[in-house]
Amino acid sequence: MTLLVARDLVVTYGGVRAVNGVSLDLAPGESLGLIGPNGAGKSSLLAALGGQTRLAGGSIVLDGHEIGRLPVYRRARMGITRTFQMTSEFARMTVFENLVTAGHGAHGASLGRVVLRRHETRQSEREVASRAWSVLDRFEMAHAADLYGSELSGGQRRLVEIMRCLMREPRVLLLDEPMVGVAPHLVEKLLADLRSIRDDGIALVVVEHALEVVQELCERVVVMALGRPISSGTFDAVVADPDVQAAYVG
Amino acid sequence: MTAWSYYIATLTVYFGVDVLAALALNLQFGFAGVVNFGFIVFQSIGAYIAAVVVLGPSSGTFQQYVFGARLPFGVALLLATVAGAVLSLAVGLFSLRNIRRDYQAAILLIISLIATQVVQGYVPLFNGSNGVTGVPRPFSSLPLSLQGYQWAYAGWVLVFCVVAYAVVTWLSRSPWGRALRAMRDQEDAAASLGLNVAALRLQVFVIGGALAGLSGGLLVEYIGAWSPDAWGYAETFVIFTAMFVGGVGNYRGVVLGVLLVPILFLELPRFLPQVGYPGLMDSVEWIAIGAIWMLCLYLRPQGIVPERRSLARRRSAAEQGEPA
Repeated sequence: MTLLVARDLVVTYGGVRAVNGVSLDLAPGESLGLIGPNGAGKSSLLAALGGQTRLAGGSIVLDGHEIGRLPVYRRARMGITRTFQMTSEFARMTVFENLVTAGHGAHGASLGRVVLRRHETRQSEREVASRAWSVLDRFEMAHAADLYGSELSGGQRRLVEIMRCLMREPRVLLLDEPMVGVAPHLVEKLLADLRSIRDDGIALVVVEHALEVVQELCERVVVMALGRPISSGTFDAVVADPDVQAAYVG
Repeated sequence: MTAWSYYIATLTVYFGVDVLAALALNLQFGFAGVVNFGFIVFQSIGAYIAAVVVLGPSSGTFQQYVFGARLPFGVALLLATVAGAVLSLAVGLFSLRNIRRDYQAAILLIISLIATQVVQGYVPLFNGSNGVTGVPRPFSSLPLSLQGYQWAYAGWVLVFCVVAYAVVTWLSRSPWGRALRAMRDQEDAAASLGLNVAALRLQVFVIGGALAGLSGGLLVEYIGAWSPDAWGYAETFVIFTAMFVGGVGNYRGVVLGVLLVPILFLELPRFLPQVGYPGLMDSVEWIAIGAIWMLCLYLRPQGIVPERRSLARRRSAAEQGEPA
């Protein structure tokens, strides 16, 4: 079963085609690695899928619905959420608040509901808080619930981003260099967490420079160079590809 | 003693009006990160509307204005609030689009400058530079002494402050308020979690504009006149300074900031000996306001009373209504 189908995606910045005709499919619980040298268009492709960058061409279909022209928040409500290359925790909110904010979802935080449906709001607040504690327990972060985002280590910030995404109960999780800023001894733990998320049936698209992480996490890898895919397949197959070696070595 | 009582009652009215304005600005900036450098425009539209709808039809000779009517002052306040909200909606729809926050701030400041020029230059709107005057005082039918009236009006304004304080505090602590803070801290991340940041920004802008309009209406019904001199763009920065001194994102702090900056600090020169030529102290005050703001940003950007950390409380299974 295919969850996400992207066809002939094009992203342009001025006259530059950062993503030039990329297509990919994604099944539930599948993890796809995007690798390639700097400037290959990996982050632009991720932004095109998430909606942070406007598509100049192509289509993105999620579960049978065309979402390629939808704004970011609507894609998120349909199940695509993401982390960012620079960690994006809400710095002046506690870890718990970071999670609860994400958990309220499409309508829970709307002004109309807060004002007109106070009982429902209180109920959903309790339900979301309970879910937030479960997620904090799962990732062994309950002790940090009251810390501000700005008071966390690099690895903890990454975890907060990922936990926050999980509070949205996503179907596709886009991860932009999830290991950047994570202390080496925590990489293995974060990898295990990501594997368990994948095993829950959430599809992952991972942009990562640390190839050992991609090797550990992703069943399928697409290698990009100059905005185009130059190879795809298992990790071992793509690294053996002469085109890939040429792209990396130059 | 009577003079002192009159003076303190007057200060209380100004304090209340500034508190309303600061609560609105704190909701917009402190919670949502919307840098409304045109804030004074929304207070002014409230003041003008509250004035013209009680002044009666424009005579066209003594003073000219639009919407002339003779409505009760309570209705005038309501219309002032609505005017602040409607103007905020109109301005917000084009100034708060998906552009950088510093550009939004610049656009709002420019709108403030343009608005002053338009009102000064187009006399039929609100009587140009002379402004509107002779606004009848509310409660005039009550058998009150002059001093009694002053305090009654001060109490009336404070009632609005208490209600507004309760409403903005409640809203800020709600899931909607948390969504505003998320947008303030990381707009892209907030959107990627399903929050419609454009709608949130517009909502908070309109609610703040309504409160600003109300504050303007309350002020003009007290002082009886309103002209472009009263709402230069710099007035916005006094409220910003009060907010930064007291504590951005903390309503108690903001009330303290209003007490310290527009009330105590700006009133202090009245009690000092005159230095230099007349008007020098006023100019020095403006310089000092800017200096205080900058000092605050350098030395204590969180203000005297920082934003409160909301501590999470884990509910027991019994509290959640689950079997133990």
